[in-house]
Amino acid sequence: MEAVAERRRWRLLAAVPVVLLVAAVTLFSTVGGSLTDLVGESPPPADEFDVRRVELRPGEIRIRVTNPQRDDLTIGTVAVDDAIVPYELDGPRMLGRLRSSTIVVPYDWVEGEPLAIGVTSSTGIQTVHEIAAAVETPGASGRRFLGLGVIGALVGVFPIALGLLWLPALRRARPEWLAAFMALTGGLLSFLAVEALGEALELQAALPGPLGGPGLILLGVAASYLSLTLLSHRLGGAGAGGVLGGVALATLVAIGIGLHNFGEGLAIGTSFALGELALGSFLIVGFMVHNVTEGLGIATPVAEAGRGASTARLGVLALVAGAPAILGAWTGGFVTNDLLAAVFFAAAAGAAFEVVVEVARFVARRTPEGLTSPYALGGFFAGVAVMYLTGLFAG
Amino acid sequence: MIGHDVPAPGGPHDLDDLLLPAAALPHRPGRVREYALTALDRELEIAPGVFFPAWTYNGTVPGPVIRATEDDLLRVVLNNAGSHAHTIHFHGIHPANMDGVFEVVPPGESFTYEFPARPYGMHLYHCHATPIKKHIHKGLYGAFIIDPPKPRPPAQELVLVMNGYDTDGDGENNFYTVNGLAFYYAKYPIRVRRDTLVRIYLANLTEFDLVNSFHLHGDFFRYYPTGSSDQFEYTDTVMLCQGQRGIIEIEFANTGRFMFHAHQSEFTELGWMGFFDVV
Repeated sequence: MEAVAERRRWRLLAAVPVVLLVAAVTLFSTVGGSLTDLVGESPPPADEFDVRRVELRPGEIRIRVTNPQRDDLTIGTVAVDDAIVPYELDGPRMLGRLRSSTIVVPYDWVEGEPLAIGVTSSTGIQTVHEIAAAVETPGASGRRFLGLGVIGALVGVFPIALGLLWLPALRRARPEWLAAFMALTGGLLSFLAVEALGEALELQAALPGPLGGPGLILLGVAASYLSLTLLSHRLGGAGAGGVLGGVALATLVAIGIGLHNFGEGLAIGTSFALGELALGSFLIVGFMVHNVTEGLGIATPVAEAGRGASTARLGVLALVAGAPAILGAWTGGFVTNDLLAAVFFAAAAGAAFEVVVEVARFVARRTPEGLTSPYALGGFFAGVAVMYLTGLFAG
Repeated sequence: MIGHDVPAPGGPHDLDDLLLPAAALPHRPGRVREYALTALDRELEIAPGVFFPAWTYNGTVPGPVIRATEDDLLRVVLNNAGSHAHTIHFHGIHPANMDGVFEVVPPGESFTYEFPARPYGMHLYHCHATPIKKHIHKGLYGAFIIDPPKPRPPAQELVLVMNGYDTDGDGENNFYTVNGLAFYYAKYPIRVRRDTLVRIYLANLTEFDLVNSFHLHGDFFRYYPTGSSDQFEYTDTVMLCQGQRGIIEIEFANTGRFMFHAHQSEFTELGWMGFFDVV
């Protein structure tokens, strides 16, 4: 009885600051204006639009704009290549905060030539969106769906399956060399983590202010890092001293790599959809070379366990790590959303960091000289270097 | 783009006061011509849905047409109801203390410019307070016509002042117009008669760009630089730097719709384009 009363009192006390905050916010929002006037006048709003997407159709340009600021933003004139053009609006002319409209411009654009789209607000501020080379925005079609799927499989599943074929060789390797390969896995995952983090920060920086901020990236990193920590704890519950090994560690590595490959697929699909990427066979070959080493990263912990993993299980691991590239290519190819992409790359970075930690703990416990052995150090560095060098092909 | 498809602001007769000057008066030395100009800050819709925080004489950009006959005594009062100090600097011949450079008029005050109108020709006036670039591109300028002692032949007279607007403050114009509104005369073509001489008083007050120009389709005209002599060029295109102006005289050879525009394509497509309907 007393315990219940005590718990009630605890909850009541916890609510006090919240109630006071609500009261203060209500009071401030009614008289706040006169308070801020004491300090000075607010500067005028930037009045720039956020151009979310430009679609080029035969004889037509569709421009999706969003108001990224607190104040209302009204669409005035629209110019293509510094020439004012008539247009129609699919949506409101006056945009409230984060509201969008699509501007439809009948326009005979020239294939392969640059285009500058200018949207001028009622206050005369022009937001310019540049397209490096005009190509028709592909619509959704079964053909394209299949094409993106094949590309995703070629850059994701295929090279990882290929890398897994190193397994028999790894099984015969000496323990110190196996440690070196585990460290190499750590190195390549570190590389992927840094790459994903860089991508996430770049996307975040381009987001309109109210949506972005580096904190968004930490949110994504923390969410995936902590989820994977929880997962590894569950997987390793039966293991020795909480250090993961064998197939469980390989699964974690595969998840980390899979998240990365979703991002890779997303980037390929998006660039293709926006006409920014010439998808030559050279580029696909580049990604394939880059991703073969990821298969090696999954094979190494399996080899270390000594126990045989069934071919079916290896197939599942290859799919976990590689198939997300297909999903990513589809997602990027048909829907583009920079906010989701930024969070997604942050999640990929967090996952890769977590797996690096797992791999490091594994190497520290299972190899004779731990993390400071020349095999571990050399392997880690080789992992980073190999990713960088093979990445040059995909660049 | 023609008629109601044209993205132009304003209604059918909004610019008549700027386009159609008052009639010339006969030569009578010493006659007093009085004008009152009030400097006003105004938010003007210069392109459809786009508002420019202008500084104006009497609420319009360009300001009102000032017209006198040579040897009239001009008396122009400047009342400053704006938020910044302004002047009026007239082109022409006048005493040093009437030049609108040193007689800066602070907000709430006024000043009277008084001088004999000369020489005859097409001139202009503008604010000369510093920073000059700012005071001009904000809209403080207008046409200033001095008629010759011997009247020009009767004609349908029009005033066209070429300008630009830098709406985003980057030192480059976003819109170009004649008489202040983008594409206005494409939406509302200027009606002229084929059997009547058409005389255009043309001035360039475009800031930031080195030159502006006037090109007429389907015909040739006589261009009198500054309108101050009988010398003319027979052409269909003239180029003017800021402050340059002149008089165009045309007898249209054909009826129909003829375009006129800046022969800088960029200016044309950013608003400086219109039509004559020749009947």
